[in-house]
Amino acid sequence: MRRLSAGLAAGALLLVGTACGSSDGDSPDAGASSDGVTTVKLGLIPIVDVAPLYLGQKKGFFEKQGLKLEFTSAQGGAAIVPGVASGQFQFGFSNVTSLMVAQSNGVPVKAVANGIASTGVRGKDFNGLMVKKDSPVKSAKELEGKKVAINTLKNINETAVRQAVREAGGDPDEVELVEMAFDQMPAALDQGQIDAACVVEPATATIRSQGGREIASPLIDVAPELTVAMYFTSTQYAQQHPDVVKKFQDATAESLAYAEAHPDEARQIVTTYTKIPASVLEQVVLPKWPAEANRPSIEALMKLGEEDGLFKKMPDLDALLP
Amino acid sequence: MRNVALGAAGLAAFLALGEAVPRLGLVKEAYFPPTSRIASALGDELSDDAFWHALGDTLTGWALGLAIAVCAGVAAGVVVSVVPYLRAATASTIEFLRPIPSVALIPLAVLLYGTELRSVLLLVVYASFWQVLIQTLYGVQDVDPVAEETARSYGLGTWARVRHVLWPTALPYVMTGVRLAAAVALILAITAELVIGAPGLGQQIAVAQTSQAVPEMYALIVVAGLLGLIINVGARTVERWALAWHQSVRGEVAV
Repeated sequence: MRRLSAGLAAGALLLVGTACGSSDGDSPDAGASSDGVTTVKLGLIPIVDVAPLYLGQKKGFFEKQGLKLEFTSAQGGAAIVPGVASGQFQFGFSNVTSLMVAQSNGVPVKAVANGIASTGVRGKDFNGLMVKKDSPVKSAKELEGKKVAINTLKNINETAVRQAVREAGGDPDEVELVEMAFDQMPAALDQGQIDAACVVEPATATIRSQGGREIASPLIDVAPELTVAMYFTSTQYAQQHPDVVKKFQDATAESLAYAEAHPDEARQIVTTYTKIPASVLEQVVLPKWPAEANRPSIEALMKLGEEDGLFKKMPDLDALLP
Repeated sequence: MRNVALGAAGLAAFLALGEAVPRLGLVKEAYFPPTSRIASALGDELSDDAFWHALGDTLTGWALGLAIAVCAGVAAGVVVSVVPYLRAATASTIEFLRPIPSVALIPLAVLLYGTELRSVLLLVVYASFWQVLIQTLYGVQDVDPVAEETARSYGLGTWARVRHVLWPTALPYVMTGVRLAAAVALILAITAELVIGAPGLGQQIAVAQTSQAVPEMYALIVVAGLLGLIINVGARTVERWALAWHQSVRGEVAV
């Protein structure tokens, strides 16, 4: 009897844990629609870049189109492309190089709406190639033989850093690229474990506040107004639900335009889904949120990516882009 | 009583060290905030709804995963031991599967279940199942042959022998397995959230990381540690209770 009661107690302990509740309890099925409202799952990384969609959801731009976004944050973004391809998410947010690599590997992805673009202003971009305050390195050319951190090898930042070195007259093959998460770069730079870091906000702001210098704007070296990331879906979903895709495109365009016109509100909404400290957020350089992707810039990125050997076969931009 | 005092003193010294090291400039405050900063960030977290949701999500993943692993581990352990030849037939397979680290299954989990609770469960169950299974197998092996033969000669059926001979012998082992599994399940639940991005404490830690919010990140890590502590104490309590009749626990109490 006593053992039975002990068993019951153990069971009760487990139930208490379960009863604490779950935030994803009653999510409707993927892409299910009820009362004319279609809920779509959007896989993204919770960073500044995706602020327009959080803002658009809050402002009712998606509701107006009969859509409800369910934000699902996927850490590091590695899970987003497979997630969309396998139908876990209807839409995703990813950088353009990742999308081109996915397509050239036969993963059925289709970009549907613009994401972010570089600001095109040197020294005032959300991305920068940074060195610490007292570093002797003055230009990207001097990085030959030095250690440079990027977040993912064989991706957009590798293309960008190599191009920055090339533009400065250096040999990119002489630069030692190491992989490191963005958030660890400020400390690594400060401790001298790396000589330079290719960072994005808010790490850019952190390094700047420590007196770090920007020696190049790699994304601008690729193209003056580079389209960096886009929202995408699977080709299958695009074929089966062209209406939902159209609604998503319209609402996203409106959200991008609104965020572009109201940067303060965009900054404000970032505090609701990240933990970026207010003091840092003030210093953060926001990306550009143009409504349309800049095709020539993507062609430039593709050409450089091909030179660096990122693609198994050339991506088909006509099929990939909206 | 002396143990409690010593434990408290050790903890206080640890916290003081955490305060002193960054204050003395041995590590940069920006990357390793002093204890007091972490404590105030923890205070902010406690007043945040998102934190409690995340805690609930993590505990859900932990509890469900542990419950499934314990049920499956005990059932599989008993069946494998009782059915003739099954132990020998499965031994090498178990030894092959057991050392595979659960985190190596992350790509599989993401492919199958995306970033949902089910992904977390897959990893949690995989990691904690073996703890329970192996302990159950050892426990069943420990059955006294004389007791077993006696039960047989008194005409007890298979079920009665499992219930009255096998289970009391195996229970102390099983409880050890459950205690180990409880800790492993928590580690895997938080790891899965951290890496995959499933909702929970781990995801909050990752968000704090990418947000350059260092004190908040450490505050959440402290919560994970406290959770581990509570779960360990809880598991020990349950273990003592379930084994109150057993000589190992009775002996402890008498001293």
